[in-house]
Order: sequence, then structure tokens, then C-alpha cells
Amino acid sequence: MKDKQRFIDDAVEIAQQRVEAGTLSRRSFNQLLMVMAAAAGMGPLRHAFADSASVVVANWGGDAVPAFEKSFAGFNAASGLKLLIDGSGPTEGAVKTQVNSGAVRWDVCDGEMYSSYRLGKEGVLTPIDYSVVDKSLIGYGDIHDFGLANYTYSYVIGFDAKKFGKNPPKSWADFWDVKKYPGKRTLYKWMSANLECALLADGVPADQLYPLDVDRALRKIEELMPHVVTHWSTGAESQQLLRDGEVSMGQMWHTRAELVKQDTGGAIDWTFDNAIVAPSVWFVPKNNPAGAANAMKFIAYALRPEVQAKLMEVYNMGPVDSKANSLLSPELQRINPTSPENLGKQVSMNNLWYADHYSETLDRYLALIGG
Amino acid sequence: MRIYALLILPLPLLIVVGYLLPTLGVLGWSLSLPKVGLQNYATILDSAAIQTVIWRTLRICLLTTVISVAIAYLIAFRWRFASARGRLLIELFVLLPFWLSMLIRAFAWLVLLRNDGLVNQSLMGLGLVDEPLALVRNELGALIGMVHFMVPYAVLPLLSSMRQVDDSLLRASSSLGAGRWQTLREVFLPLTLPGVAAASATVFVFSLGCFVTPALLGGGKAAMLAESIYIQMFQLSNWGLGAALSIVLMAMVAVCAVVFGKLVGFGRFTGRQA
Repeated sequence: MKDKQRFIDDAVEIAQQRVEAGTLSRRSFNQLLMVMAAAAGMGPLRHAFADSASVVVANWGGDAVPAFEKSFAGFNAASGLKLLIDGSGPTEGAVKTQVNSGAVRWDVCDGEMYSSYRLGKEGVLTPIDYSVVDKSLIGYGDIHDFGLANYTYSYVIGFDAKKFGKNPPKSWADFWDVKKYPGKRTLYKWMSANLECALLADGVPADQLYPLDVDRALRKIEELMPHVVTHWSTGAESQQLLRDGEVSMGQMWHTRAELVKQDTGGAIDWTFDNAIVAPSVWFVPKNNPAGAANAMKFIAYALRPEVQAKLMEVYNMGPVDSKANSLLSPELQRINPTSPENLGKQVSMNNLWYADHYSETLDRYLALIGG
Repeated sequence: MRIYALLILPLPLLIVVGYLLPTLGVLGWSLSLPKVGLQNYATILDSAAIQTVIWRTLRICLLTTVISVAIAYLIAFRWRFASARGRLLIELFVLLPFWLSMLIRAFAWLVLLRNDGLVNQSLMGLGLVDEPLALVRNELGALIGMVHFMVPYAVLPLLSSMRQVDDSLLRASSSLGAGRWQTLREVFLPLTLPGVAAASATVFVFSLGCFVTPALLGGGKAAMLAESIYIQMFQLSNWGLGAALSIVLMAMVAVCAVVFGKLVGFGRFTGRQA
């Protein structure tokens, strides 16, 4: 159970979807093993995994592991450090366990932006050294003491183009309108962006979204519940639901939307109109094995515009700076969440709000969709 | 002789190191995170959301137990009166699911039961229903998956219990004029009741901790206690509450075990006559 799978974990082929869903449980299993190892104080384990001449970057597994390996392949030549990708998932719980038990295994984590605020406040992260990391390279996304944007992604509307091709949905109001656009819906399970979509559908202007009116958002979600087949928890699932016609419209990551569009030869289409765009984040756990300096070296490297462009080329993860956009082919610019044209159509997620309200809101949200 | 007693030492040692100490650690977390006190247990008592999950867990587990044991009883009954060849065949089919990953089984059910799956397409093709039935991604889906998972666990204790029923008792019953139905009701069934109790306890306790099957087939609409613990621990890094929920789950299992022990005796679990 997902578990939880995040945006970054994309599969390319249908066949991979089942295997990939398997990573969910493997990941949970890894986390459990790790908690147990940490609880038993097995600090020396980390030395088997990483020595000081390597940097371990944690992400969410699946295809995101080779994606990072490919995109950051030049890091070794640039720094002399070996790059290792660990796909076991830097959830808040996992990071806290490692730091508090003194068995830190990760140098840099690709996590949730709100987690970086929360963990920073709890004192388990190393501050980012902005004399090494050039924050002027970030044009879009959060920059704060304990984390900074590393790539971007969007929650877009994917839809059945055979049904709605002549008059495609353009907003979350359309997404909620089951009379005008009949058929079932699917949304992301872990709440992110759902509250924003609901409020936009309910007529809240985009510039007045925050602080989020949770009661109103949950009421609006409740209204749609009879039409929601399921809340997907893996990106592959969101693709499958649209491809197999189980839903006529889905809220999904732009990477998945593009994949299912290609898979179906355009029978499924999607749009950046009214989409919710969000940055992911780099953060560094306290007492990371390779040392803070090496972690900063990696972050500085990963921010280079040509490396950002590479990440977009390899797995369609959007650059954090619009300057990297000009390095992309026209085809990739079309699906880049932070190209100036696309950014103008979308609404930005405010992760500071999530940092303060995630726990209590998630409880209420899960109770609603679980009821 | 005493030296041989040492040979069983690894088992209690494993239980102490592998179960007892970590469990005490979890209990400690539930009483000390984020601060010392009973506030996590107070949250459980206060939160309507958590109580919904607990009741749902109990409800799904109870239904799973009743349905699985009923199906298993029929299978075991057929086995009891089958030829040697028939017995082998039944044993094979009971054991076969153990070789398949829980995940694969859950996905297979998803493929069969979803809106455009085989079951719904057949029903609609036959004209029995007009639009697809919601068979999966809800509590029903979770229930179907869990029953399928649990039936083999229920069959095994029933087999052992039915094997112990002496044929001569059944013959005696019929020679005293009882019909087949009366023999079944008044001789066979009471003799196998301890097996039914053992099967029920096994299934119920296993069901309480189910995670993958309800998570996949429930479509997020049938979250059970195990999933809530995962969410508190890993999504919200709220260890105190997660630990308290784990203790509640463990207490539920302990209560079941004690009740079962009182009713039929622990010996049933090991196949001995109590």
C-alpha cells in the first residue's frame, strides 16, 4: 500500500506497470527493514552502502532510479565522487528515523517540498550552503534554509479525446461537471493538489487560494465522490484507468498524461490549462555520510541548466528555471511545466501552507475518501 | 538429557530479541512521542476518523472469517469423504495459492472485477445487468480478495479436525437410525466444532493485519488499521500515534487469542486434542 508513489516514478510501458506496482510493497518493505536496522543501532551498515568517496541520492524508486543515473551521469567526472541512487523513498518518517538513530544512509534526498520545511523545523536537516549552491539558477520554485526546488511537475487534466475532443475540458470546474462531461473520474490519493482543484472548481480565484479553505474544499470533493472510481496511488494506475476507459477524465501527473497520450495515439489527451504546478526539493539529512560539502557539490551540479535540461529530456521532469527551457527541443518545450507559455496557464502549489497543515488535513481528507 | 534442552534455546531467544523487545519499544513510543503521556490513546478514543477505521477493520475481518470458514468447511468436508486421489487433488488446489504472491492475486482480482473486467463484461453480455457492478475498489472488493486469501488458512485446521472424526461413530449413528442430515448435525458437526473455532481464530487474527489486499482492492475506500498505521508512521511521521494504533491492533489479536484459548484450548493450534 502504497504506499506511496510520487510523480517521479514513471514507467514507459504497459508491461512495466505491474512490476512497478510491485515496487510499492518493496519500498515499504525496505523502509521497514531500514527502521528496524536503525532501531537496532546498526550504524555500521551505512559504511557498507556508502563511503566518503560517494554521494547517495535518495528518491522514490522504479524508473526514477535509472532516470537520475542517466541525467546525473556527468557528476563523477565533474566532482570525482561516485553517485549512488537509492530508490527506497525519503519519506519524513524514514529521514527522521535515520537522523535520530545516527544511522544516516542518504546524502541528498529528492523529497516533498513541505517535508523539507517540516523536517528543517524539527532540526534533522543540514542548512543549504548558498555560497556553493547558486540560487540564482532557480527561476521557479521554493528556496529556503533547508531545501530548494530541484525539478517541477504538474497535476493536469487527462481526458478521453474521443468523447470530449471537440470541446475539451479546460478547468477544474469542467472536471467537476459530470453533466457536461459524463463519465467517472480519478484523483491522486495523497491529497496534494486535490484541495486546490476542488476550490478552483468551486469558483475560488487562483490568486486567493491560500490559505486553503479546507472545509469548503472537502465539501466539494465529497460532492464528486460518487463519480470517483478510485483515488490512484501509483502513476501507472492513473494511466491504466484512462487507457482502459474506466474513467473519462483524470487528475494526473503531466508525465503520465503524455505517456498515455502516446500509448493511445492521441485517444487520450491532456492540457496544462488550470493545472497545478509544484516543485520537488533537494534536502540534506543532518550528519549525512559523505559530509555536507559533498552533498552541496551534488546539488550545485544538479542545478546546472544543461543538467536540468537533461532531466527533462530523459524523463520529462520540468526544469526549475525557464532559461533551461531554451535548451530543449520544441516538442519538449510543449510538455515542459515551466516553459513561460505553460507556466502562465497554471496555478502554483504553495508548499508553505502544506508544511503547516499537512498532518491534520490529510487525516480528514483520508477519512473522507475512505468513507 | 539436560544438554538437549539447550537445543530449544534459540526459539525463546528469537522471540525475546525479535518480538518482545521491539514490542516493548513500540509500547514505549506510544507513551512517549511526541511527549510522555496517554495523549495518543486519547486521540484514538476521540477521533471519529480512527474509530471508523477500527470498526471497518472489525467488520471486514468478521465477514471475511464467516465467509472463509464456511467455504473452507465445505472444501474440508468434501476432502474428508473423498477417495485418495480426490484428496490429493483437493490438497493440491488448497495449497496452490500459497505459491502465488499476494500482490499477483490482488492484481488478478482487479483485472477480473473492474468495470470492463471479465466478470462485468460477461454479466452485461448475458444481459443480466445494464451497467457494470461496482465489484472492486470498495469494501466488497477488499472482502473478495481477503476471503480468497484466507480460505486455505481455514481449510488446514478443519482438515486436521475432520480427520480425527472416527468413521465408526458415523456408522454407529446411522445404525441407530439417524439419517444423513441428522448424523451430520448431531455427530459430525459437534465433533468438528473445535476445528471451526481454530480456523475462525486463525483467519480473524490474520485478517486484522492485512495490508496489501485491502489497500489494492479497496481502492482507498476500505482503509484498514494496518494501512492507517503505515500512514501515521511514514506519511505523517507521527510515530506516537502509529505506535499506539499498533498496540491497539495487538491488543485486539491478544483478546482473540485469549477468548479462543478459553473456548477450545491452545492445543488446537498445534493440532493436539485439548
